[in-house]
Amino acid sequence: MSSQEHYGSRLPYKFLIGVVTLVIFFLEAPLIILVIQSFTAESYLSFPPPSYGIRWYKEVLTSEDWLNSISLSLTIAAIVTPLSLVLGTMAAFALDRGPKKLKNGLQTIMIAPMVLPHIVLGLGLFKMALQLDIDDSMLAYIPAHLTITIPFVVISVGASLQTFEQSLEEAARSLGANRFWAVWYITLPIIRPALIAGGIFSFIISFDEFIITFFLTTFQRTLPIEMFSTLMYQVKPSIAAVSTLTLAVTAFLTAMLILRGQVTSGDKVIK
Amino acid sequence: MSRNSDENYGALWLLTPTVLLYVATFFVPIIMLGVLSFARFEMSVTTIGFYFDNYIKIFSDGITLKIFFQTVRLSLVITFWCLILGYPVALMMRSCSPKMKMVLLFCVVSPLLTSIIVRNVAWLLILGRSGIINDTLIQWGLTSKPLPLMYNEFGVILAVVHVYLSFMVLPLFGALNSINSSIEEAASSLGAPSWRVFLSITLPLSLPGIMAGCTLVFILSMGVYLTPVIMGGNFVLTLPMLITESVREQYDWPFASAMALMLLLAIGFMVILSSGVQKLVGRR
Repeated sequence: MSSQEHYGSRLPYKFLIGVVTLVIFFLEAPLIILVIQSFTAESYLSFPPPSYGIRWYKEVLTSEDWLNSISLSLTIAAIVTPLSLVLGTMAAFALDRGPKKLKNGLQTIMIAPMVLPHIVLGLGLFKMALQLDIDDSMLAYIPAHLTITIPFVVISVGASLQTFEQSLEEAARSLGANRFWAVWYITLPIIRPALIAGGIFSFIISFDEFIITFFLTTFQRTLPIEMFSTLMYQVKPSIAAVSTLTLAVTAFLTAMLILRGQVTSGDKVIK
Repeated sequence: MSRNSDENYGALWLLTPTVLLYVATFFVPIIMLGVLSFARFEMSVTTIGFYFDNYIKIFSDGITLKIFFQTVRLSLVITFWCLILGYPVALMMRSCSPKMKMVLLFCVVSPLLTSIIVRNVAWLLILGRSGIINDTLIQWGLTSKPLPLMYNEFGVILAVVHVYLSFMVLPLFGALNSINSSIEEAASSLGAPSWRVFLSITLPLSLPGIMAGCTLVFILSMGVYLTPVIMGGNFVLTLPMLITESVREQYDWPFASAMALMLLLAIGFMVILSSGVQKLVGRR
């Protein structure tokens, strides 16, 4: 699969390389430009910036509005990620160990929120939150975010459990460990890459979630909502600085994901 | 948890917390939207009942249906461009060296994990009225007025393609990767030129990936709200914008619910259509 000597002549291959280079340029160039622009020392955005500095990072990290929204987003993601991992892993175990004839049906239910457009999900959740009078609070955000993050954990952990050798766990149990400790000491360490992937996905999805939270909030602002309202008002260099900060965190997490050799997206697992 | 209980069914209790959560956050809310879509909204008062007012309004108010078809058309155009740009990348990922594959994989996966709003900001800085492109063109004297690169369909399509391209590449790569390359080698050793090998072997065999990727991107594009608002201003209206506006500004829940159900219906239709096509091709 990895040979350069693929079928056919070299000319189409060179053409392919050209096209792919352009596509990668299209994907990455805007982000690189954004990062460069965020280091401008001027009061406006231009490319390339006439002078460089970290003025706008200072501004962001001392502005109360930005700090409040960053901390709200981080708090939500920090609560959602472990909960999503626990619930999602439990569900993945149930699907893997439960009756085979129910597996497909139950799996469809478990990942159903993933195929529902977030605009529709957000609308429904908003109605529900209004009925229960919990809108504009953590009580609304946390369950809402969990609903969209759990499917990713179910998929990544489920894929990993499929290749897990169950006899290892049985060996531990035959040596006297009860089921919980057998899973704790044997299974979970082995499927750790999948747990890390599920956790990273949960964190990033929650941190980046816009439309559902947009429905649920009135006064509170998560980072994406703060960015959105700032954008609608004026495009200042501070928005590029905030974007770069977000980008740095996600790029780091992505690199970790790929270097760990576990990339899960949709129902495809690429090793 | 007794060890001797029926092992199979005993595991299902682990689903309880998630199922309870989904009932509250997913099943009941969707049912509520369904019920609301048949309610009547008059003088800012919602009356639950079995009326078709909202659905009649969708078809007769002259604007909603138009915006719905505009959303479908934009989604199809976005899907088309994702396929055109994504296929070469998936093809390349399959045939390049492992190291190069890692690099491409990073380029394809990282956008999935990059904040959507951050990527929209990036385009804003490039395409905006005083963005990089217009700044440069004016500086060089190539144009005196900024070109309209955003706040129109072009800007929306470009930015949404940028956001969803990865969702196309991954299923395509999965499908291409599962093709046994000895079939292609056989064809080319029998003298088929490479374009012929591609058209009559690689492309048809990757059809499941094409269908999966297109369906996914179409569904996502139908529901996208943020990018059209940022890149289109109020000049490109889509169904999600209409839904959001009628709830947040007019409090017209019944009409918003009816539009949401219409969106779901369109997506369901697309899913059925694509699985039908796959079955048809599979039978051949």
